[in-house]
Amino acid sequence: MSNNKLTVIDREGSTHDLEWEPDQTLMEALRDNDLPVLASCGGTASCATCHVFLEKEVFDTLAERSEDELELLAEAEGYQECGSRLSCQLDFSQDLDGVTVTLAPEE
Amino acid sequence: MPSQQPTENHLNPIIIVGAGHSGVAVAAGLRTRGWDGDILLLEAEKETPYERPPLSKELLKAGAPDESTVLRKEKFYQDKRIGRRAGLAVDAIDPAGRTVQLSDGSRLGYHRLVIATGSRARSLTVPGARLPGVQALRTRDDALELKLALVPGARVAIIGAGYIGLEVAAAASAKGCGVTVLEFQDRVMSRVTSEPVSRFFEQLHEQNGVRFVFGAAVTAIEGVDRAERVVTADGTSYPADVVLAGIGVVPNQELAADAGLLCQDGILVDGHGRTSVPDIYATGDVTRFTSTIDGTSQRLECIQNAMAQADQVAADITGQDAAETEIPWFWTVQHGVRLQTAGVRRADDEVIVRGAPADGKFSVVYLRDGCLAAVDTIAGLADFRPAKKLIAQKARIDPLLAADPGTPLTAAVFAAA
Repeated sequence: MSNNKLTVIDREGSTHDLEWEPDQTLMEALRDNDLPVLASCGGTASCATCHVFLEKEVFDTLAERSEDELELLAEAEGYQECGSRLSCQLDFSQDLDGVTVTLAPEE
Repeated sequence: MPSQQPTENHLNPIIIVGAGHSGVAVAAGLRTRGWDGDILLLEAEKETPYERPPLSKELLKAGAPDESTVLRKEKFYQDKRIGRRAGLAVDAIDPAGRTVQLSDGSRLGYHRLVIATGSRARSLTVPGARLPGVQALRTRDDALELKLALVPGARVAIIGAGYIGLEVAAAASAKGCGVTVLEFQDRVMSRVTSEPVSRFFEQLHEQNGVRFVFGAAVTAIEGVDRAERVVTADGTSYPADVVLAGIGVVPNQELAADAGLLCQDGILVDGHGRTSVPDIYATGDVTRFTSTIDGTSQRLECIQNAMAQADQVAADITGQDAAETEIPWFWTVQHGVRLQTAGVRRADDEVIVRGAPADGKFSVVYLRDGCLAAVDTIAGLADFRPAKKLIAQKARIDPLLAADPGTPLTAAVFAAA
């Protein structure tokens, strides 16, 4: 599998173009490319420090959020019902090639 | 990110001793913050640095792969030019000569030294504690050894009803072992949580076949060639094929203490991870420091602290500001039920139960002088993030509103805070 292209808008509004590798979750792709994603729980949907916004059209193609993920997100700053995800819960998929993700505000 | 321009002799690397969560995070953080010089990560264990929390959870499950979850993939270290030497211990530090001595006899100079040696499982000291079949759980090798021993019908005696003991109890009972947990206190997890939470988890374990013995003072492990039974002070014998000691951890501070760094049940560090000796930092489980929240001296055994201190160290070395520190938080999963805690509770906090434990999902709120100090969430995370924020703000909480699970925690704050 080839890498996905990924566009990230950081908290200052700057755009970064990254490669998203097949063995990375979205959180890992962000973190390993030096974007300021704390991900303090290491990817177990516990801490919500890897919160991102997806475009609604992309969001709608994804599987439902787990109850834990939803409960953490619902209390997060800037929560979007049809856009907020924990990036640690998103595995690589070729369907996600070329997507744009926006880092949620830090709390 | 601004790049640190070398202004002094940078021929020597920044040496990080210990590739656990915190050590790896320092290495990664230095690169994120623009450090261009050499970084060398030294680790006594041989494999790719890995996550410890899954060792007592996912890894022990039947059918789960033996591979541990790595902290960062091998490629990351190459891409970030983070040098690694695994399988070598550091035997000594010479602060005056700015060198470390390795177990193979070689000596390496450092530009800055970061001690991230973590903690080790406290050993049982009773007679028989060294018999085969008695073990602790701290490393991947420990976990794999335990996993092999947890076979259907095996009699498993667990000494200590803390996170580790209870996570292993859950894994062992799920695999059809006969599990007895021996605990000196009168309830489970008494150090970290309140009675309502203890009782809830005791019931959960008992429903899954785990037996508890409270007030149990273990006096010996007996057996001919290997552990056969655990004996307690009242003379009772508990037959066992496997004995797991989960009685806490001690900081791996000897290396630092021998080099003259101030230690006191942990290497003493300031809010930048600096030790008492110039150019030597320490981070993670091995440290003791003053809480910025309440001014108490503390040693925290959690990932949140491992990450926060790593950031402080990387920031200080590169002359930048560290990110704001998260409220300490902790989690455990037992029989599929997650207990997640924000803040550090004290035994004299006011305890408010939010929701009904009988429903299998509730929270417990801890107030100190009327302000939110900690929250336990059981099988639900809705209160977790609001709690972290409110603890940081030292929000004054209305106990009556907080007791109502239908009222969001944020709405239980007294208006005139």
